[in-house]
Amino acid sequence: MSGEATKDKLRLGFLTAFEVPQRGFVGGLLVTNHFGRPLEFQCTTPVQPNRTQQILYGPTLVPFIQTELIGKTLVDKVGVKPDLILTDSRQLLDLREHIAIPVACLDDADSPVAGSSDDSQPAEESLAEDAAATSTIGIGRHTLRFHSAHRSDAQVIAAKSHLIPDGADLLEPFERVREALNEAIGTGAKR
Amino acid sequence: MSSANDQLPSDSSSDEPTRADLSRTPECVSTSLELHAEVFASGLNGALSRLPVVESQQLPLALKMTLCPGWKPHRLRIPTFGFTFPDGLEFIPKTEDADDAEELKRILPPKRPKPADGKDGKKKKATRLKPPEDALSLEDRLFYVLQPPLESWLAGQELIMPFEPFPFQYEGIAWLFAQKAGLLADEMGLGKTMQAITAMRLLLRSGQARRILLICPKPLIPNWQREFKLWAEELPITTVEGDAARRRMLWTMPGVPILLANYELMARDFDGMPEEEQPRFDLVVLDEAQRIKNRESRTAQVSRSISRRRSWALTGTPIENRPEELASLFEFLEVVPPRGTPDLRQLSRLADDYILRRTKDLVMSDLPPRLDRDEYLELTPAQKYSYVTAEKEGIVRLNDMGDTISIQHVFELVLRLKQITNVDPLTGESAKLDRLAAEMEEITESGKKAILFSQWTRTLDWLRDELKKRLPQCGTLIYHGGVPSKKREPILKKFKEDPNSNLLLMSYGTGAVGLNLQFSSYVFLFDRWWNPAVEDQAINRAHRIGQENPVIVTKYISKDTIEERIDLVLQQKRELFAAILGDGDNTNESLSLTASEIFGLFDLKARAGKGTKSIGPDDPTEEKQAA
Repeated sequence: MSGEATKDKLRLGFLTAFEVPQRGFVGGLLVTNHFGRPLEFQCTTPVQPNRTQQILYGPTLVPFIQTELIGKTLVDKVGVKPDLILTDSRQLLDLREHIAIPVACLDDADSPVAGSSDDSQPAEESLAEDAAATSTIGIGRHTLRFHSAHRSDAQVIAAKSHLIPDGADLLEPFERVREALNEAIGTGAKR
Repeated sequence: MSSANDQLPSDSSSDEPTRADLSRTPECVSTSLELHAEVFASGLNGALSRLPVVESQQLPLALKMTLCPGWKPHRLRIPTFGFTFPDGLEFIPKTEDADDAEELKRILPPKRPKPADGKDGKKKKATRLKPPEDALSLEDRLFYVLQPPLESWLAGQELIMPFEPFPFQYEGIAWLFAQKAGLLADEMGLGKTMQAITAMRLLLRSGQARRILLICPKPLIPNWQREFKLWAEELPITTVEGDAARRRMLWTMPGVPILLANYELMARDFDGMPEEEQPRFDLVVLDEAQRIKNRESRTAQVSRSISRRRSWALTGTPIENRPEELASLFEFLEVVPPRGTPDLRQLSRLADDYILRRTKDLVMSDLPPRLDRDEYLELTPAQKYSYVTAEKEGIVRLNDMGDTISIQHVFELVLRLKQITNVDPLTGESAKLDRLAAEMEEITESGKKAILFSQWTRTLDWLRDELKKRLPQCGTLIYHGGVPSKKREPILKKFKEDPNSNLLLMSYGTGAVGLNLQFSSYVFLFDRWWNPAVEDQAINRAHRIGQENPVIVTKYISKDTIEERIDLVLQQKRELFAAILGDGDNTNESLSLTASEIFGLFDLKARAGKGTKSIGPDDPTEEKQAA
């Protein structure tokens, strides 16, 4: 893959992390070409926080594990560096603070798209604040949300987004990653 | 001891306490609480009564806290597992040359792009690749798990498909892709060729294979070339042909992703090649794999000797007369040891693991119906006279032969009589031709197309000439073993594309196998073959995937002739096998007439030892004149 020119190529990283009961948190990163064909896969072994970490990190424990521990480790480890990392969780957007690669969350993954109203959204993440603080771009039928502190990422990716087919299902690769993680940890546990 | 409460007035609610009451001192009673304990003489009692020594010490003021448990967050080193997927073929990027790029650009928009969702708005089922049972390492298993669903892989983005496969074809492609050894045995017309081509294409694309050998009967080489061009236009196909030196060069030429060869050349060339010079392949595919059913045949032996990592076989007739025929196929697939003779139970288990077979009845509920109509025709007077005369003379002659009579003698008479039912040799009268001309007139006017099958090439030539005279507006083409190989493809192309070409005359031998003629709505069986399975193969040239209209199959049967008797016998055999094998599996060689059945056509008895021997012409798939 190293021979591929980057000008007309867009490598996508699909990053997801979740907790497996009794086992801990696992994460996987699948790097594909812009058509979704796999180029490299990395996954972690289960990470089980100890009691001290649970107490001291409190509600920040899960974001810490998923973002700094799992997400950053996987991005550091992967050999075929993606041009854009897509996540299916808004929590993982903060990974952008620790790496130099644009990170975007698929807005239709676990949260409503900007402009819609949803009472279940936490008050501190009100849509108005979101709209002001983050940048979004549309690719096909998906909306990508970028980190508020890295708003220029949206423009960088928008310039290459034409490489992704309009009909591409950007949520589908996450199913592959989850299935691979379940296969890897030898459990049929579902997220 | 009394408490202060005891001294309070008992009814305080009725009278307010007076100042005198409040100033009165309460009465106290003392009670000693001293405990008495006896001390045993232990020798330590002095220490109990000694006063402790108290000392003072001066300490500086503590400016820093010393009792402060510390915890510093540290990043754990998390073990990871990962792997890189193999690169696809090198020749794929090279297609960016100007000419190739132009070519690719031209075909980029798929003719029928697959919508992401179904027509009814529901998301279509995704066909995922499953790791094969024998994939044990995690990396091997994840390789399959992480591949995209076939529907998106083949959605016209990275790989272009001219037509969207049916769901069962996606399943077949996914199954083949994951099989190191697999026999795709779908019933005729369900698209084995397309499934195999697409699975090969995906293997090459995903770097799982770089060199593939496809072996097929020689008459089917142009068909495979055409199908590759249709389903995988970007793949360069190299056909092994030419003189010995050229073939030797082709066999060993590096950088050839797909080699196409026929069985005869494969057997001949590998036979004469030193083992160390024999090419190795990532995948060897045998089309019409029943050709290696006889494990002792040279073709079967050479096929098994080819060095390869994967083995696939394609056939619509996987199980025929004897279990050892299937064992020979399994031996090629390397799932039974050399010379292995699995019993029926083992064969059944192997079939579950290594054979994928679907029948039209099971998967093609949306295929237009096939309407069979048997047309019983009265012979013309001249035909009838010739027929009766020939039959009487023939039977008399057979009876006169006594014990010297052989199946060949009976067979010659059958052929003679069948020819007369086609056309009277003296007058040229033909009831079948009369009916055909009438029906073709209607078909031609409606702009439809028809295929006609006959056992004899001479009959086909005669039909073409007669139809030209009687029905000049009906464009008639001819395709049989007598037509040179190079001219066959243009004929098929013309029949497909030329709206004025309405009728294609074909021999069973050349036209029954492997061709896709689904743009034809009518099939005529001008005379009958000996085995209804072969007739079905012929009919399925038209009644197959891609057919959008019902296919009307007309079988001409001359009344009160040998044809009627043969039809009856074949029908009985077909019903018998359907009852035994079930699932519409009528593609069995045993449906062919046996010697005793041929003798029975004339109320003659088969001579000793010949009762069960199958007779009739050679299998049309092995027609020598076509090779």
